[in-house]
Amino acid sequence: MTGKVPEFGRFAEPSLLILVSLSDGPKHGYAIMQDVESGTGRPMGAGTLYAALVRLEELGLVEALPPEERRRPYRLTAVGASNLAEQLRGLSSFAQQGLRQLGEHQP
Amino acid sequence: MRSLLIRCYPARWRVRYGEEFLAMLEERPLGPFDAADILLGALDAQLRLRGVGSQPSPRRGFTMSLRLGGLAAIVGAPLWTAAFVIINDGLESADVRAPALMLVAGSLGLLVALAGLSAFQARVAPALSWAAFALPALGTVAVAIGTVGVVFGTADFWGAFFLGLVAFFVGSSLFAIATYRTGVLSRRAALLLAIAPIPLIAGGSGGGFRDVLILGGLFCFTLAWMALGVLAVRQDRAAVAPRPA
Repeated sequence: MTGKVPEFGRFAEPSLLILVSLSDGPKHGYAIMQDVESGTGRPMGAGTLYAALVRLEELGLVEALPPEERRRPYRLTAVGASNLAEQLRGLSSFAQQGLRQLGEHQP
Repeated sequence: MRSLLIRCYPARWRVRYGEEFLAMLEERPLGPFDAADILLGALDAQLRLRGVGSQPSPRRGFTMSLRLGGLAAIVGAPLWTAAFVIINDGLESADVRAPALMLVAGSLGLLVALAGLSAFQARVAPALSWAAFALPALGTVAVAIGTVGVVFGTADFWGAFFLGLVAFFVGSSLFAIATYRTGVLSRRAALLLAIAPIPLIAGGSGGGFRDVLILGGLFCFTLAWMALGVLAVRQDRAAVAPRPA
């Protein structure tokens, strides 16, 4: 898995947001939703969250922890952390290139 | 409303994620955006999980054997009995090839029922369940072979047919006893199945009330198998359903 960013289709962005949310520690579904909403200013629906979470779990990027009452926390795996770092580096490089190009062509 | 939305997800998904998903939904009020998003998520899960399970495979295997066994019992038992009665009434006068094929199909159905339900019971008592499976399974195979042999071949197969019939009825009682003892399927249906062969064998050995005994025994036998089947299917559904909100 390391070295290759998996294809998530329309769940690519929610998956990235979930990985970022879990990067500072395990969280259950509702805490991820709140974290994403406070970080992006946009709510993430429960259906979207779990569709992405299921994919991330199947790929071994996140793992479920034992349930706490009815809530189940999830945490980033080592593979998930490596994958997230790779995606963020790619985005950072893309953003820098875009800013450079914008700077060169600005009047 | 929330439990209704969760029911749109596949049963296997609900087994794994249903409880935590419901707990999350209860954290805040649901708006139209949330409901639409959940419905889209359910559609995605339905498409994605078709044929791909999110629950461990041993459990999936057990519920599959329960469902298959139950459905086979529901279909196989009345088919078998109807064919048996038709053949019994019209063996001398009519063409019994069609009911003979029905009897073979019913026997195969009951064989699948025996295998499926025994596999489910074997989780609790493997030795008892498979020992109780062996005799009725051999009986159904012998009945099927005997039927085909008699109707399409020679009368030499009568021995196999009758021996198979006795093994099947006695074996059904053994299966019923195992079912009662393991207690994972309906015990009432098991009791009915255990006693059904008594009037059948009594009627088959001649004497007064022969027809009444045979018909009564066949009725109990069919009812017991169908009840076992229906309750097994319902048990399977209950096993994969989420807890109510």
